[in-house]
Amino acid sequence: MATFELYRRSTIGMCLTETLDEMVQNGTLSPELAIQVLVQFDKSMAEALETQVKSKVSIKGHLHTYRFCDNVWTFMLQDALIKTDDCQENVGRVKIVACDSKLLTQ
Amino acid sequence: MAATATVTTSQVYIDVIEDVIVKVRDEFINNAGPGEEVLKELQALWESKMIQAGVLVAPIERSSGTKTNPGAVHDLNVPYEGNEEYETPTAEMLFPPTPLQTPMQTPLPGTVDNSMYNIPTGSSDYTSSGNDADVKGGQPSPYVQQLPPSPWMNQRPSLDVNVAYDDGRDEAGRGTSNQPLTQEFFKAPMGKRKRDDLASQYNNADGYIPQQDGAGDSASGSFEVEVCGGRISINAHHTTSKEKIPADLGRPTSRIPQLDGPIPFDDDMLSTPNIYNYEGVLSEDYNIANTPAPPEIPASTPALVAQNEAANDNEDDDDDDEPLNENDDDDDFDDLDQGEDQDTHHLVLAQFDKVTRTKSRWKCTLKDGIMHINNKDILFNKATGEFDF
Repeated sequence: MATFELYRRSTIGMCLTETLDEMVQNGTLSPELAIQVLVQFDKSMAEALETQVKSKVSIKGHLHTYRFCDNVWTFMLQDALIKTDDCQENVGRVKIVACDSKLLTQ
Repeated sequence: MAATATVTTSQVYIDVIEDVIVKVRDEFINNAGPGEEVLKELQALWESKMIQAGVLVAPIERSSGTKTNPGAVHDLNVPYEGNEEYETPTAEMLFPPTPLQTPMQTPLPGTVDNSMYNIPTGSSDYTSSGNDADVKGGQPSPYVQQLPPSPWMNQRPSLDVNVAYDDGRDEAGRGTSNQPLTQEFFKAPMGKRKRDDLASQYNNADGYIPQQDGAGDSASGSFEVEVCGGRISINAHHTTSKEKIPADLGRPTSRIPQLDGPIPFDDDMLSTPNIYNYEGVLSEDYNIANTPAPPEIPASTPALVAQNEAANDNEDDDDDDEPLNENDDDDDFDDLDQGEDQDTHHLVLAQFDKVTRTKSRWKCTLKDGIMHINNKDILFNKATGEFDF
């Protein structure tokens, strides 16, 4: 089953990737196993986001760049206002990367 | 409220970590996987990185109640007390300074290598001639022969390394980094081991290291390996200078002899070879004798030097001629992206359900996303976006 690797770019994903890299460098872990761990992370993360998270946010801003390639949308926003249930944030620039949700549920 | 959000986010992360670990446990334990210990280490490292990143709240409440053992993290700073055989993983874990090991791997050449090294004088004199510095004859120390390849395996590498390195530092006065480089190149060199032994031997000695290649230098106790290495590279680069600057470790030169190539800042980059030609007269012989020796090594170093030189030249030209208009395409946005570090790089990773556009008004619905905004992590289940292009 294919997974979205985009969550690997998040903080938690990067921490895992770094950890796995170190361990593979040491020889503690084989690269194949490291990849298996990452794939499992993709699945677990996607599932957790779907089941455990319930919040809704809204994003508004000026669209500086948009790109749609390989079924992935990439937006660069400027002066964005992001509202969550609890708070709102102003950010000068934000990058949004979004994969097609329909691809996962094939 | 932010604190609440953080805790919630943190809890989700903890759950994800647990979930991943549980699901990969099988892979680790069955099918000759690395084992539970490694799995624990993975989890510990992962969590500690996340705590460092500030996305995980320190006291970790787990549903399973298993405590990770931070001590599981392997400390590479201590010598590896191997309960296992000193196999590759061990060796790697042991030391970055593999260079020491690399040379060790080459079987101590008996006379053969020595001869290759240009020991015109001493090839047959390898019998123990005592520890005396070979001022005259450059008789190779007996260590060469004595040390079979196995010892390095048997010994704790740390011991050897320390000794070797100390010596190297003391004598060469050069960056240790150089040594490893050269060492790696020179599989052949008769031996780091030899050097190590020599070094240890001469540690207490008058600081004089006998040359085994027969050069009767004054106080040029450079390691053969280094010498050879340096020479080789230099030879490749220049014709060997016959200068007699010994590769004297004790030499108080500001220039640190480089084993892997010329020193860029020096005009006389290739003067470094001088170091290696501790023997004026015999150097010629050396070179000839060593011809077989300079294998790929020169190939690499000269290339590096060439590149440096080329690069320098190019830069000068560019500056002189005209601005290259390199900055024409710079977009302030791009610049900002490049200049941004993790904190300021606000990122939203999600899945999209729908993206539509009407004229310049874009609307999208996203789901299951992770946002990293203003150095905070926010998770969402649904998101709506409205952008003006």
